[in-house]
Amino acid sequence: MPSLTEPSVIPRRTVKSDTRSKDQFAPTYYVVCWNDPVNFMVYVTHVFMKIFGWQRQKAEKHMMEVHEKGKSVLVREGAEKAEFYVQQLQGYKLQATMEPAE
Amino acid sequence: MKLVKQTQRGFQYELNGEDVESLRFLVKQFPITAFAPARVSKTDAGSKAVEREKLINESLQAHREELKRKARGLVLRERFKTSEGKQFYRISWRARETMLQILNDIRVESWRILGEPEDPEAVVFRVPGEKFKYYHFMRLAGYFEYHFLNLEEERR
Repeated sequence: MPSLTEPSVIPRRTVKSDTRSKDQFAPTYYVVCWNDPVNFMVYVTHVFMKIFGWQRQKAEKHMMEVHEKGKSVLVREGAEKAEFYVQQLQGYKLQATMEPAE
Repeated sequence: MKLVKQTQRGFQYELNGEDVESLRFLVKQFPITAFAPARVSKTDAGSKAVEREKLINESLQAHREELKRKARGLVLRERFKTSEGKQFYRISWRARETMLQILNDIRVESWRILGEPEDPEAVVFRVPGEKFKYYHFMRLAGYFEYHFLNLEEERR
């Protein structure tokens, strides 16, 4: 019959060296809107306000960035949310992509 | 075309007879092209990205089918009311979003058919005869899009 004496080796407490949640390690993506000559500026502003719930001033800032610099990084999100935004933006016929964030 | 009323429920526009016929004709043309898959990333070519692109394109295709299903309903004759010799068009906030997506799809796809010109409005003299209707579609869609949006801005 096995004895019930205490084990001679006491298990060590494992301490997690990093307590961040799993989600924080998941890759993130930049949602980027690219310039084109066919979409109206007022339309692009409207779409940004609608999709991201932004105030006009912020939507116009990003619209102008698209217009003047050729693209604007709109948000940085996890894969699922970035996919959602790209699909929404493309549903309005804006040229949008998601690029891996470094 | 001008906005005459904006409420929590939606918008009411006043249109002339030419606007009414043009809008009805244009929206009935949707979609003017078959669905074409879109690129979803310019830098990511991994297997996950390929799968993601496939799923997003399936979703976009389903969305376009939904727009097609709704398009004719947006321009039914009975939606245009005549009062004191004027014609009025009522549209809810949500339906206006659908309308904007349909109009912009027509505009962007027409632009693509025209060869994606850098200055879309300036190509008029270079458009071959068989494609001229797309130049017309692009401009007409832009006209309605602009008025559905911009008149709202003017009221703010």
